[in-house]
Amino acid sequence: MTTSPATPAILEARQVSWHSRQRPVLGPVSLAIRPREHVVLIGPNGAGKTTLLRLLAGLLDRQHGDILFDGTSYEHLDRRQLARRIAYVPQIRPARIPLTVQQVVEQGRYPHLSSGRKSLRLRDFEAIEGALRRVGLWELRQRSVDRLSGGERQAVFIAAALAQEAGVLILDEPTTHLDPRHKAKVTNILLRLKRETDTTVVAATHELRFAAHVADRVIALEQGRLVHQGEPEEVLEPTILEKVFGIPFVVASPGALATPRVELPE
Amino acid sequence: MSASICPRRLLLWLFAAWFVVLFTAPLIGGQTLDFRELWSGDPTTATIFWQLRIPRVLLALLAGGSLAAAGMSYQTLFRNDLAEPYTLGVAVGAALGVVIAIRLAPAGSFFGLSWTSFASFLGALAASALVFGLAQRRRSAVGSTLLLAGIAVSLSCTALILFIQYLSDSTQTFRMVRWTMGGLAVVGYREVLWLLPWLFGGSFVLVRSRWELDLLLTGEELAASRGVDLVRLRLTILAATSVMVGAIVAVAGPIGFVGLMIPHILRRWIGPTHRFLLPACLLAGGIFLALCDSAARVVMAPAELPVGILTALLGGPFFLWLIFFERSD
Repeated sequence: MTTSPATPAILEARQVSWHSRQRPVLGPVSLAIRPREHVVLIGPNGAGKTTLLRLLAGLLDRQHGDILFDGTSYEHLDRRQLARRIAYVPQIRPARIPLTVQQVVEQGRYPHLSSGRKSLRLRDFEAIEGALRRVGLWELRQRSVDRLSGGERQAVFIAAALAQEAGVLILDEPTTHLDPRHKAKVTNILLRLKRETDTTVVAATHELRFAAHVADRVIALEQGRLVHQGEPEEVLEPTILEKVFGIPFVVASPGALATPRVELPE
Repeated sequence: MSASICPRRLLLWLFAAWFVVLFTAPLIGGQTLDFRELWSGDPTTATIFWQLRIPRVLLALLAGGSLAAAGMSYQTLFRNDLAEPYTLGVAVGAALGVVIAIRLAPAGSFFGLSWTSFASFLGALAASALVFGLAQRRRSAVGSTLLLAGIAVSLSCTALILFIQYLSDSTQTFRMVRWTMGGLAVVGYREVLWLLPWLFGGSFVLVRSRWELDLLLTGEELAASRGVDLVRLRLTILAATSVMVGAIVAVAGPIGFVGLMIPHILRRWIGPTHRFLLPACLLAGGIFLALCDSAARVVMAPAELPVGILTALLGGPFFLWLIFFERSD
């Protein structure tokens, strides 16, 4: 972590809660995310990770509390303004996407188009090319998305979010359902983002190894409450993980590795 | 399902074909016209050509295009290949309006149009509003909910139409049945002129929404995260299309399946991006309906087949093909 705790938060949730018609899903939760920080949410199914991400992305209306971007409440930002600041990569997408890679990434420029004349300009094409090159899809840009592997598809949607040029990138389960090679690919994209850009990242995952690799801070959620947070070494340890997930864990952390290796029990 | 034909080239061809159809289709009909007679100024030929056939072909070109564009919008909006004005209840709502007007048979006119036409216009708008209202009550107006609401409205309207027909005397029933077949006969320039602002207005709104429609192709949640106001988009599209469909049904009766077949075929050819798909639908839908109507004028000559029957005859098997074979590719 390069930023000091005194840096003002780029994203801040204050006593935010959300409940569906049947039951409370999240909160109250308070959370401050600093610029350039990479935060990973972990927790069992139904812990409220996706709900928290969708609230932070401005896709759900919070029922209590307030969410602020760089000190400005979401109430004072309209959808397009918010979209220029926060990009979101959802977990669930249509099974068939009848577009080419480039067409999907072009959509990331939508919040930047003038509402009168909605056509892409040179500046937009530069952003699109940059995003495609960053995820290694420039050569495949004319390929139909439906013909790509799961990992490449995930990379397409990350590229579209990067083309959005928002300071904050929110990812829901970016590595779920991917084979190990593609998990590594997506992980590497995020590690490159951390090295090469100022992007702030908030991701939710079930992949504890992914969390260990990319997170500056890991936050554990349980039944809609924020129960633990800290650097990966502090949170990804057996007692906390067992408490959060309800099964015993073995965490191997050889001295040479900076990140703990989390292994599931047999 | 990406483009297999250069979209720009196809648009150019469709544009050319649109004009070719406009000036050649009027020659076809119960009485085939000779172009040389028209050229030499034969008054009977000229009257049939300019006063009867041209407005009729023009109407087919405009109405077919608008129906295809409306179907295309519904399919994207509801993420369902089977959505079109006919299946969503908009056209049936309009038909109910007309049937009520025939039953009550009020005299006079409203803004220069018969009450029947006006009632059909209102019916389409009411059906759309009802579909949208029903879906909105379910808090999250997801595509499938809207489609279900459309089917519910459609079924109820059909039942009411049958009920009113049952109550009516035989003359009224005949008029109702004949009208619900959909046809472009007895159309003059007045109807075409009356249609123009509605169709152009609606098409303009759709053209302006092309980016938002494209964004829906990658999912509603992503579209929302990019700044699309989904509720406003749905309202805008439903309002624009129901104005178009209502106006068409008012003049020509419910013509089904154009909005199903044309967008589907074009999507296979030039892909789903609305920048190309929308103008292609506006052109090709018109060409298709004008050709169908030309065929309807001659297959049973000297009698004329209502064009709605012909499109339905083509549409039924197409619908089945869509359900059974399309997904397997």
